[in-house]
Amino acid sequence: MRGRTARQPDEADVDLTPMLDVVFILLIFFIVTATFTQEQALGLEPPPPPNDTPQEPVPSILIYIDEAGLITVNGRVTDVGSVRANIERVKAEAPDSSVVIQAHTKAASGTVILIRDAAYNAGYDDRVNFVVSGE
Amino acid sequence: MARRKRGQHANSNGDDDVNLTPMLDVVFILLIFFIVTAQFIKEPGVDIVRPEVDNKEQAKPLAILIAIDENSEVWIAKKQVPLTEVGFTIKELRRDNPKGEIVVQTDVDSEAGVLVDVMESINNIDGATAINISTKID
Repeated sequence: MRGRTARQPDEADVDLTPMLDVVFILLIFFIVTATFTQEQALGLEPPPPPNDTPQEPVPSILIYIDEAGLITVNGRVTDVGSVRANIERVKAEAPDSSVVIQAHTKAASGTVILIRDAAYNAGYDDRVNFVVSGE
Repeated sequence: MARRKRGQHANSNGDDDVNLTPMLDVVFILLIFFIVTAQFIKEPGVDIVRPEVDNKEQAKPLAILIAIDENSEVWIAKKQVPLTEVGFTIKELRRDNPKGEIVVQTDVDSEAGVLVDVMESINNIDGATAINISTKID
């Protein structure tokens, strides 16, 4: 009788140590590999495929960025801050016009992105194309 | 004698054996947290200056990060990748990570020509209508 009561707790208690070891190893692995990367992104349209040009000519706002970062909107020289106003002015005259951002290959990407941002601000969630020119 | 011994035994048992159950609970909670938040992303490994814009969205889940540094060199998973192999590298990473967003971290001073080439490579593989360009987090 006494022997039985003494043995029973031994059988009932599972030894948790090996599981604890495994769990710790897993925990350390996941802590080490954890990356808390966050990205906030702006959507920029890739250039249209070269053979895809059968559409009728629509009025467009051509924004050209040259090698030195000089910005021209429909032939008028402006700076980054005034691009939005320029887009809105042309849009008011021709509401269905699309935006074409044409950058020199050596132009800074930052300028292109700021202009795309200005186009978003002017209400262009789509109908914007980004192309490069000049080798 | 026997009774005293048993009492002593039980007493010392209680003192020596620390109750591990609460710690195990905490460890399990931590483990589950790290498993759930684990995302196996290979970072490009270069520091870039991101542009500051108004129109941005949280890109998640992230899958592939591609960086273009100020010298217009393309970096994927801590390796510099020639422009001609960008598409191939993306395809290879896509095999491990079929869902999720591709984000291009482009330096403000990098060349637009390189950016367009990278965007075309991504478009060829993913057919995305708009490519995510990493911006400054506020």
